[in-house]
Amino acid sequence: MHTHRFIHCIVPPHMLREISRSGSGAQKIAATASLAMSEQVRVNRFGGAASAALATLAAEGVAPGVKQRRVYDAKNGSGLPGILIRGEGQPPVMDAAINEAYDGAGMTYDLFHQIYARNSIDGSGLPLVSTVHYQKGFDNAFWNGSQMVYGDGDEDIPINERLFNRFTACLDVIAHELTHGVTQHEANLNYGGQPGALNESMSDVFGSLVKQYQRGQSAAAADWIIGEGLFIANVNGAGIRSMKAPGSAYDDAVLGKDPQPAHMRDYVNTIEDNGGVHINSGIPNHAFYTACITLGGNAWEKMGRVWYKTLTEKLRASSDFQNAADLTYQSAGELFGAGSTEQTAVKVGWARVGINIHGALEPPTENEGCLAGFLRLLGVR
Amino acid sequence: MTTILFERTGGFMGRKVSLSLDLDALPSDQSEILRGLLETCDFFSLPESPSLPPVPDEFVYFITVVTDTVEHTIQTSDTGMDDSLRPLVEELGRLARKA
Ligand SMILES: [Zn+2]
Ligand SMILES: [Zn+2]
Repeated sequence: MHTHRFIHCIVPPHMLREISRSGSGAQKIAATASLAMSEQVRVNRFGGAASAALATLAAEGVAPGVKQRRVYDAKNGSGLPGILIRGEGQPPVMDAAINEAYDGAGMTYDLFHQIYARNSIDGSGLPLVSTVHYQKGFDNAFWNGSQMVYGDGDEDIPINERLFNRFTACLDVIAHELTHGVTQHEANLNYGGQPGALNESMSDVFGSLVKQYQRGQSAAAADWIIGEGLFIANVNGAGIRSMKAPGSAYDDAVLGKDPQPAHMRDYVNTIEDNGGVHINSGIPNHAFYTACITLGGNAWEKMGRVWYKTLTEKLRASSDFQNAADLTYQSAGELFGAGSTEQTAVKVGWARVGINIHGALEPPTENEGCLAGFLRLLGVR
Repeated sequence: MTTILFERTGGFMGRKVSLSLDLDALPSDQSEILRGLLETCDFFSLPESPSLPPVPDEFVYFITVVTDTVEHTIQTSDTGMDDSLRPLVEELGRLARKA
């Protein structure tokens, strides 16, 4: 048995339309935005090109990929990509953010190429474009659909009030953003609700794997923290998220406590942040972590391959957590055999977060519990 | 009476940052800056929502301005924003992060 009570929790479009008409202020806007999101048509979907190369990888070795990195400077403005500062093969410059974006993109390319035989974001050598020094006081990084964008943190406020370092300072943040590009070109998971949280989790998974691969750390040795070093010293926290113990990454007077759940029973229903994509990603993150620890060894070698195969060959735009559980289990079976220790580890990983593997996918069911919760949240009922 | 409500959601961390300002209670130099920024972007004429697809890890901003005669709320984002609105969002963001 699994818990549908938490799984199929999408507000029906007719309800959103109603709220977008009769709600007020922010409710109205949130409902309109959700409606636009649920009705949007994804046009930039590409097939998975690189995954077929996997089978021949062992026999023939890895074909030389061509890294094409370009790092731009937005000069604290909002224009993208900005001014080209460092192209592929050019020497380091006197700007740490430029060099970090360059090196981090290279290290991320290397994991995808050397281990999963993928040639860049699109599988066909797409140039890796990054922009640093985006805006002033920009404590964020994002993937805009065609490039990575990084801010300098909160350098615009007094030093004793700051929380963040520059966002290029963490290799896993860079790998996280680049992986959003990979996801866009593969499963193209909708950026909302459970598919959105899966999208986020994929970026954390490969973000962490890039760091572990670079450091040569086994699953047991890795810290599994996302964004370690992103907070400056006066914040009480190890980083932004913990895959090992979601909800424990920080507990700070200004920031509050890490809100991530580690189990389906604590799934957070919210309309903010596209349905809590950065909160509920803790659930699939912890499933991956548990599978890796259960299996042992280097996480990128086997479990990383299982997740990569699932992302590039099996998941679809609307896939939810249950689908991800079932399909990673299927991938592990195909890669390592039915009943293999790898496949068993996948099952253990998802069970830890309250999701049991089942083969057949059931049709979605309307869920009154979720709907009532959503209406309560909006103050409609 | 003029009140500004500012909310920033999403981002790599997914942390909400918010701010509520009563312009009449602020020092006059500060409230003049904000009134000027509201005028620059012609705030009450801005569309409510750009209805753009979500961008991974991007901030989404909600700004509501309430006066004695009118209330208006907009939603915007870094990649979807009109340039005339940027100075207002930047200033409110700075104040919210300091708060
Ligand atoms: Zn089911
Ligand atoms: Zn992300």
